[in-house]
Amino acid sequence: MTASAEVMTANAEVDSATFAQMQRQYEVEQFYYREAALLDAHEYEQWVELFTDDARYFMPIRRTRTRRELHKEFTKPGEMAWFDDSKAVLQGRVAKLASGTSWAEDPPSRTRHIVTNVRITSVEDSEMMVHSAFLLYRTRLKSEEDQWIGSREDTLRRVDGLLMIAGRTIYLEQTLLLSRNLSNFF
Amino acid sequence: MEGSAAVSIDLQDVQGLVSVQTGEINRRIFTDEEIFEREMRQIFGRAWLFLCHESQIPKPGDFFEAPMGRDNVLVVRQKDGTLRALLNTCTHRGNSICRAEEGNARNFMCTYHGWTFDISGDLIGVPGMEKFYNNALDRSKLGLRQVAQLDTYKGFVFATLDGSAPPLHDFLGTAGRLGLNLIAELGDIEIVPGVQKFLIDANWKLTVDNVFDWYHPQITHMSAAAAKMLPEDAYDGLLETAVDGGGAQTPDGGQINFTRGYMEFIDSITVLGEYGHGISGPPTALDNPLLSWRKRPEVAAALGPVGMKVGGHPNIFPTMWITTFGQVSLRVPRTPTSTEVWWFSFVPKEMPPEARAHLIELQNHTFGAAGILEQDDGENWSQSTRQAFGAESSLIPHQLKMNLGRGHIIHEDGIARIESRTSEHGQFWMYLAWAQWMTGSSWDVLRANTIPGELI
Repeated sequence: MTASAEVMTANAEVDSATFAQMQRQYEVEQFYYREAALLDAHEYEQWVELFTDDARYFMPIRRTRTRRELHKEFTKPGEMAWFDDSKAVLQGRVAKLASGTSWAEDPPSRTRHIVTNVRITSVEDSEMMVHSAFLLYRTRLKSEEDQWIGSREDTLRRVDGLLMIAGRTIYLEQTLLLSRNLSNFF
Repeated sequence: MEGSAAVSIDLQDVQGLVSVQTGEINRRIFTDEEIFEREMRQIFGRAWLFLCHESQIPKPGDFFEAPMGRDNVLVVRQKDGTLRALLNTCTHRGNSICRAEEGNARNFMCTYHGWTFDISGDLIGVPGMEKFYNNALDRSKLGLRQVAQLDTYKGFVFATLDGSAPPLHDFLGTAGRLGLNLIAELGDIEIVPGVQKFLIDANWKLTVDNVFDWYHPQITHMSAAAAKMLPEDAYDGLLETAVDGGGAQTPDGGQINFTRGYMEFIDSITVLGEYGHGISGPPTALDNPLLSWRKRPEVAAALGPVGMKVGGHPNIFPTMWITTFGQVSLRVPRTPTSTEVWWFSFVPKEMPPEARAHLIELQNHTFGAAGILEQDDGENWSQSTRQAFGAESSLIPHQLKMNLGRGHIIHEDGIARIESRTSEHGQFWMYLAWAQWMTGSSWDVLRANTIPGELI
C-alpha cells in the first residue's frame, strides 16, 4: 500500500503530518529495539558503531536533594559522572570486553534491555531529540540480580539515510548505586 | 548471604586471628557478625574518620552527610566559618532532621513535631513550649549532639566519636600526614562536584587491603591495558616491562604471555604507620607527567626527602584510600558482607582548563562502578567474601607470605619504610594493626603496639 497524502480508513482519516509523525515514531522505536537486541546479544562492536564520531555518552550522578534544591540533583558535564564517554572511550570499553580477560564479564552477565515510553520531542533538519524510559535487568553468576530503571534523552541524527546516536544522557532513578559495577551499557 | 553459624570466637583472643609468625589470616574475620559489631565499636567508634573536604561546604549552611560507623553526621559550615559535625537525629524522638545527602540549609526542622535546630545545632524552636511543656523544657540541653572531636588536615575534615582519642595530628602520625600530603600538595585543591557512591557485596577489609596490592594489577586488570581507555601518559606510567609468568595459565590452558608489558610493578616502597596507616607502591618516577606537581620546591619541603621517593597508595586507617591522581575512596562498612564505596575527586583550582578536563577524564574512567579498573576488582572482593562462608572453606587461612620476614624496616626522617620488591607487607601491617584495635586496649597501648619495629 503506498503512502498517499490522505489515507482513508473506514472510520478515520490520517493527515500527512500525523502520518509522518507515526512513521518517525515507528522508525525510532524499531531502531531502539534493534539496539537493545545487539546489547543483549553482546554484539558490542556493532552497537558502538551506532554512535556518531562526535557523540557523547553521559550518565550523571544523582543526589538526594531537598525539593528547594532539586535543580542541583544531577551532576553536569565536566563534573563527576558514572559515564562521560566520547565514542573513542566507548570503543575502548568494547575492546576491553572483547579482550577475553574482562573478568567482570566472564562468565558473561545476562541482560534484557526493555525500552519504552518513546517520545520524539523535537525534529530539526537531520536531528531528533528523543526521550525514552528503560528497564535494564541483569543477572550474574548464580543468583545476583540487578535492575536499573531510568530515562534516556538522545539526540538521533540521520546519516546517509540511517539513524545514529549523536548524544545520549542517561538518568538513573538511583542515587546510591545499588549494584557492584556498571559493566554493561545502557 | 547467611550469617556464620559456627562456634563464637573468644574475642579476647582476636590477635590469634592474624598470625604475625606465619602471615596467615583467619577467614572468619570477613563474615562473622560478632567481629563486625566489635569493629563498629572499637574501630569506627574510636578512630578519626574522614568525613569530607572543606571545599564541599564553603558557605554558611552548607552541609554534607557523612557516615561514622552506623551513625550519620551532618558536617555543617557555621556562620563564623568554622565547621560542626552534628548527629542527624532529633533529640526528641530520634527522627532524622535532614534527609538530603548534601545542600544548603537555613535551619533543620524535624518533620515529626516541628522541633527546630539552627545550623549550629542549637534547639531554637519547640512548638507548644508554653501550652504543652509549661516552659519546663531546657532547650539548652537538647541541641543536636556533636561528635566528640572535629579537626581538619589541609582541608580534609575528620572527626571522632571518642573524646579520649589523641589529636588528629598525632593520630595521623608521619605516615598518615605523608599520605594526605600526597593529595593535598597537588595544589590548591577543590572538590569536583559529584561524589560517586555505590554498594559492593564484600567485606570492607578486603577492599582496603587491596589498596596495597601491586601483585594483582597484571592479572586482574589485564583487560584494562587492552582497552586503551586511559590517556596516553597514564599508560606510560602504568606499563612496565614484564617478568616471569611463574607457570600461570589462561582459562583455556595457554601460558600467560606477559611480554606485552601489563602493569608489572617490580619495586616497592612500603611505609608503615602507627594505628595501621600505610602507603605502598612503586617508587615515584618523576618523569611521569602525572607527577610533575612534585617538582615544585614547596612540595619537596612538605614531603621531605623520604616522602619524595614514595609513590603508590596511602590508606589512612581504617578506610580512607588516596589515589595517585587526586581522588579519595572512602569505604563505608554497612554489614560484614556489604560495603559502600564513596569516591571524592579533587583538582587544583589553578589547573588550566585543558589539563583539568584531562585529569577529570582520568578520574571518571579509572575507578568507580564503571571504571575500567574497579569493575574487575569488585569480582575478587565479592567472591573472596562469599567463599569465606563454607564450613570447610572458612578454615583455609589467607596467606600473606610474600617476603614475610624479609621486610627490613628503615627508620629515617621520622618515617618507617621498607624498600623491596613487590610484597604483601602493606596488607599484613594493616591486619596486624586491625588485631590490635580489636583488643579494645587504651589509646596508649594501641599506639605502642602499632609502632613499626625492625622487621616484618
